Amino acid sequence: MYYVAEVNESECAKYNCKQCVLFCPEPNTLMYHNTKHTAWVNYSRCKGCAICVYVCSDLLKRNCIQMVMMTTGD
Amino acid sequence: MGLEYVRISPGFERYMPKDYVDLVKYGQFGRQVDVQQLGQFKELVEEHPMCAGCFMAYFIRIFYASLPNPEDTIVIGTAGCARLALSQAAVPFVYGNYGDTNAVASGLKRALTIRFPDKVKDVVVIAGDGGLIDIGFGMTMHSWFRREKFTTIMVDNEVYGNTGGQESGMSPKGVQLKMAPKGKQFDKINAVELAKVAGCVYVAKLAPTNPKRIAKTIRRAILAARHFGPTFIHAYTSCNIEYSIPTEKVLEDARKREKQDFAFYEWMTDEVREYFEEIEKQSQEVKV
Repeated sequence: MYYVAEVNESECAKYNCKQCVLFCPEPNTLMYHNTKHTAWVNYSRCKGCAICVYVCSDLLKRNCIQMVMMTTGD
Repeated sequence: MGLEYVRISPGFERYMPKDYVDLVKYGQFGRQVDVQQLGQFKELVEEHPMCAGCFMAYFIRIFYASLPNPEDTIVIGTAGCARLALSQAAVPFVYGNYGDTNAVASGLKRALTIRFPDKVKDVVVIAGDGGLIDIGFGMTMHSWFRREKFTTIMVDNEVYGNTGGQESGMSPKGVQLKMAPKGKQFDKINAVELAKVAGCVYVAKLAPTNPKRIAKTIRRAILAARHFGPTFIHAYTSCNIEYSIPTEKVLEDARKREKQDFAFYEWMTDEVREYFEEIEKQSQEVKV
């Protein structure tokens, strides 16, 4: 089980803001999709710090990211 | 390193690790990226073992994204948290003994100037408050007195983070830490003023709340170090473990400290200011 960030892509695509991507401390983890215009998370790299949730929900009031429990295959 | 060392020899693409192929195809080598494009290219720094929500890791991520010339840069670090991420990047990393980073960097910069007279090689020291202002104080100051041409960046977490929380010279007065139960008795050292007095030509102090401004500051510090002399950046990078900051509140803490004692501060000599004005004028002319 991992605690990771999950982006609501249809909500996120409305804004085109990229702010969460700019504030993630992990490299190559919270990425931005150029054609879908949405942020997306590389789940195997996310450490679950929730800074992106602070940026998206508390600072920008957009509520597109939430933390979820992720189960692996085994 | 140089660009010809980065490229994969023809026929070997399918044997190379995917991360490396991505780095060559979609990475920063040989082109200028803007920090606003983060998340849309392969970054130089890879997965690292630093704590979740560490803002030192965040500062290092922005640092690598803002290097003006990553293929011709050498990074020097020392014991402490920062080297955990610095050593995971596709930029040569030299691990100095504790405290001698600036002495190593002085020798390296001089040797590179002799070996590659027609090329610009950037040398950047990134070390913590312990490595630069406590244990490495003498060598840091003397490299500035000698006006060695490289950049020194202090990632200041105000504590000895990975040895259990001892107070450092940069801890604020009165702060109670695990290995300083009575609270710190002395003031925080004013590293920025020390750097100005010791002969740095460009000095900046910042909290990592604005990626664009961090990138601009780092680029300016590296460019000024190429031509004029030593440059210094003092960055606040909180330790969320030793200061018990919940990870989701790390950015909030940085914003709070920015309002208190880490307001953005930039100082440079007149000749450096003229140089930057000239560069900015040229880049505007190119845009027009």
